[in-house]
Amino acid sequence: MSAYIVKRFLLMILTLIGMSIIIFVLLRLMPGNIADIMFDSAGFVDPEEKANIERELGLDQPIPVQYYEWIRGLIVWDLGFSYVSEMPVVDELQPRIPITAKLAALSLFFSVLFGLPLGVISAVRQNSAMDYILRCISLSGLSLPSFWLALLILMAFVQYAGTIPIYTDPPDNLWDELLLYSIPAAAVGFRSSALIMRLTRSSMLEVMRQDYIRTARSKGATDNSVNYHHALKNAVLPVTTIIGIEAAFLIGGLIITETVFNIPGVAHFLVEAILMRDYPIVQNLVMLIALVTVLINFLVDMLYAVLDPRIKYAD
Amino acid sequence: MAEIDHQAELSRAGANVSGHWSRLVFYMRQHPLGAIGAAIVVVFVLSALFADALAPRDPLHTSAPDSLKEPGAAFLMGADMMGRDVLSRIIHGARISLTVGVASILLGGVIGIVIGLMSGYLLGWFDLLMQRLIDIMQALPLLVLALVMAASLGPSLENTIIAISIPLVPNVARVVRSSTLSLREMPFVEAARAAGMSELRVAVRHVLPNTLAPLIVLFTAQLGSAILVEASLSFLGLGVPEPHPSWGRMLSESAAEYVRVAPWLVIFPGIAISLAVFGTNLFGDAVRDILDPRQRS
Amino acid sequence: MGYLTRAAALGLGVAMLAGYAGTALAQKDGGVLKFYHRGTPPSGSIHEEATNSTVSPYMGVFNNLVMYRQDVAKNSLDTIVPDLAESWSWNGDGTELTFKLRQGVEWHDGKPFTSADVKCTWELVLGKSKAKLRKNPRKAWYKNLEEITTNGDHEATFHLKRRQPAFIALLASGYSPVYPCHVPPKKMRTNPIGTGPFKFVSLKQNEHVKFTKNDNYWKEGKPHLDGHEWTIIKSRATRVLAFIAGEFDMTFNVDVTVPLLKDVRSQAPHAVCELVTTNVSYNLIVNQDNPPFDNADIRKAMVFAIDRQAFIDILADGEAVAGGAMMPPPSGVWGMPPEVLEKVAGYGPDIEANRAEGRKIMEGLGYGPDKPLEVKVSTRNIAVYRDAAVILIDHLKHIHIAAELDTVETSNWHAKVARKDYMVGLNLTGSGVDDPDSNFYENYSCGSQRNYTGYCKEEMEALFEKQSMMTDQEERRKLVWEIDKKLQEDAARPMIMHSKGANCWQPYVKGFVTHVNSLYNNWRLEDVWLDK
Repeated sequence: MSAYIVKRFLLMILTLIGMSIIIFVLLRLMPGNIADIMFDSAGFVDPEEKANIERELGLDQPIPVQYYEWIRGLIVWDLGFSYVSEMPVVDELQPRIPITAKLAALSLFFSVLFGLPLGVISAVRQNSAMDYILRCISLSGLSLPSFWLALLILMAFVQYAGTIPIYTDPPDNLWDELLLYSIPAAAVGFRSSALIMRLTRSSMLEVMRQDYIRTARSKGATDNSVNYHHALKNAVLPVTTIIGIEAAFLIGGLIITETVFNIPGVAHFLVEAILMRDYPIVQNLVMLIALVTVLINFLVDMLYAVLDPRIKYAD
Repeated sequence: MAEIDHQAELSRAGANVSGHWSRLVFYMRQHPLGAIGAAIVVVFVLSALFADALAPRDPLHTSAPDSLKEPGAAFLMGADMMGRDVLSRIIHGARISLTVGVASILLGGVIGIVIGLMSGYLLGWFDLLMQRLIDIMQALPLLVLALVMAASLGPSLENTIIAISIPLVPNVARVVRSSTLSLREMPFVEAARAAGMSELRVAVRHVLPNTLAPLIVLFTAQLGSAILVEASLSFLGLGVPEPHPSWGRMLSESAAEYVRVAPWLVIFPGIAISLAVFGTNLFGDAVRDILDPRQRS
Repeated sequence: MGYLTRAAALGLGVAMLAGYAGTALAQKDGGVLKFYHRGTPPSGSIHEEATNSTVSPYMGVFNNLVMYRQDVAKNSLDTIVPDLAESWSWNGDGTELTFKLRQGVEWHDGKPFTSADVKCTWELVLGKSKAKLRKNPRKAWYKNLEEITTNGDHEATFHLKRRQPAFIALLASGYSPVYPCHVPPKKMRTNPIGTGPFKFVSLKQNEHVKFTKNDNYWKEGKPHLDGHEWTIIKSRATRVLAFIAGEFDMTFNVDVTVPLLKDVRSQAPHAVCELVTTNVSYNLIVNQDNPPFDNADIRKAMVFAIDRQAFIDILADGEAVAGGAMMPPPSGVWGMPPEVLEKVAGYGPDIEANRAEGRKIMEGLGYGPDKPLEVKVSTRNIAVYRDAAVILIDHLKHIHIAAELDTVETSNWHAKVARKDYMVGLNLTGSGVDDPDSNFYENYSCGSQRNYTGYCKEEMEALFEKQSMMTDQEERRKLVWEIDKKLQEDAARPMIMHSKGANCWQPYVKGFVTHVNSLYNNWRLEDVWLDK
């Protein structure tokens, strides 16, 4: 077991190193750099002044040297300065991370809150009208573009409530903050809850067909206790996996939602930083997202290994 | 004991189904939702194929007097700011969405299959390398990866396709690799090899057809997600550029400006996207049920 | 037209009625004015930027030597009033402009303001000082400025190479603040220090820019506000919705487009909106060095294809105006009036006749319906640019030109234009000052960096200089029309339209006047107050 963990951990490091190279190269492939963006607001490009800026920011260095500088900085926890704001990257990212984290947690909470029980109901009432309706709802959750949904929500609010649930000032307390995030979180959570519901349903169905459930039933257990106790317990495993994976993938959905609701989290910031060619922000932020994703995958695997004794640790 | 209607039981199980047509009818009865999905997909594909004939107007023609015209007899779904017919643009938009979907499946599918087959067959260092590459591709959420790719390649139809196809690669490669691994030890594959078939032929003739079912499931899922990701990228200004009438582009920021003055600009393309993805998903579910009964949804 | 005259009349009315007695009205002090902003300002250093995103929020941090009266809507030489300069005078041959400076003014950091700061600022702009601006977009304005000298701490003189009566107009723009000598340019970008009514507090990317009252402001009793804050919202749909929902006191500078204005007027009928010409023009940059537009005939044919009214109707619901390089009257001071404009080739009212002529030219060159000329229309990947380019492409079809849209990312646009890597581009040009000197020297003069097409003609240079030296402004105007006509017929940068936009604010916001011929000069905000 410990050998397996060590091996997985090393592979994780390897993945992150590979990721860092790929993201670094992709960024340098992007047409135009920060100097071009800076000149945009001046309405022209002066080649000499542009070269000065590039020299100032170290962009004239060969790419391997730039990469080395970045990694060296990462190791000693010196993430550099944002090209745009000329502030330390850490100071730019730090206040934004909790915002996205809260938003993601809230979305995940909503998606489990709705996805899990509805999935169970759908499975237990397989092929009933209820099942069909729930399946259609969950499929539409996977079909609606999240920004469309977000726009419709905003429109409805202005039309019927005369307010707009977007972020303008920092909220006064945690409660206000969560209240503010609950609408965007619901917009994003709809998709994840649909996914969780589908998975819960199919895992439940699979487990319900298995022998020991039949055994339990033949031993005289009532339908309800079978469904909710035995079946759900065993269906939880694959569902945990998908929740873990969704937690990481939520960041993707948040990119759009944070943009529409004007929430100053990291996902929105990433889009801006990419458009501005703010390399120090983008490369560190993408690495952070990759780290979170890889870590969650790792934890899910570990959890799986602990929960499911059938898994062997060889490979 | 109740009388068993053998005939009915048999037909429910599809025993006396023969011929393509009756097989289709059988599947439709078994999967009514799938049939609805298939119908939506057919409409979607037809409008993509025959957009020129179906669209009432030129989707690119601008006309000042028709700017932001409300839906009515002349413009069934209204006109956009530039006086272009929304219905015609939606019909032509199906072509863009389908192109992006299908091309990304082809591209991602081919790369994934090649990587998967070679990994499963060659094993060794190549397999190790590819596995790491796949890990890396999966280390980022789909939209984040597509966003970075789209930004570094620049906005164009081709680049959007490339950006959207990349996230498909690891899934396909995984499926193909594991099937290859398990199949290469199977007796009939061994027999084929013993009979003197080359490794490549064995792979193409025996291994691939056996991975078809999970691949088709993956591909139908990809079609829906390609449409959604394209729409999201376009919304962020990184997808298929103007004047291509892409659904995502139609919903983009500039259209959203008129969400209240001209809600039809936002509602109809949104419905088109949702419906197409919904149909694809329903269809995909049915396909999965049919091809892979163990994973019934 | 209706809104326009109303806005102009409003401005003039306020000015005439109140004069400076306006200050006698009972303004209330206090309150923070909340704006929304369209995107993070690229920096706080006005001299390094050429964008509304910086000037509007940051203008109140600074003072100029002179400025346009904030309460008069139409800028002209007659509306220039003292700011940090108490008075000014020209020498006999009009080559030396001397300012007497106000005494006892302090920078936000407590250091005294002196003539050395004036000298420093314009030496920085001329590129003569040791400290360097990273970017210097208005160098071309000061082509004629030889040097700045000081006489004691409170007198500064601008020495010109030749006479230029309108030079002072450049100094009155929001783009011409006085910088402190003792603060390096880098700090001015992130933490600007000025003498103005508001101090910079903080800028957070994608979140907000905040300014607070300068309690020590040298103008008695001003500013009225305790501060102003700008919340950044990138999506125009969202931010206008937020204004309608009452989240903000005021919109961003001319951010409300004509179709959105309708929505605001119907949903928030109490809001005050002023729709004005912004002195931002839609125009074409044509690459005259490479095929196909090195051919003057094809350029001419292209100009004939444009239906300006269609652009105006689509992009601004009929509210924008056609014109030449200079913004047309009544809002503009220097533009060609309709009767002159009509005579410029391609501006005739009969579009079909124009296009027939365009087709004839193209057919003469061997093009036709089956053999169209294939070109690319390049533009920025920003909605206002793309929309206009799509209309242009549609118009070009009428004269056998099959155009394809080439959208270019912001990060690539200026580099591409500088490389001359385009055939025809759709471009927006904002003029900071409604004066031919700034416009011609910035956009049409040899060697200017913002002269994207590299248009350079000796004959025109001579004309630019001639008009610039004229004292009689009526005579000058006639010459300017002549120059403008030539520029249009040369297809140097064919004009499509002069756009309009609106500012909207809640009714309790008082004392703000939208200017009708520049959007960069009326953001000092020292006279604005909240009636709450």
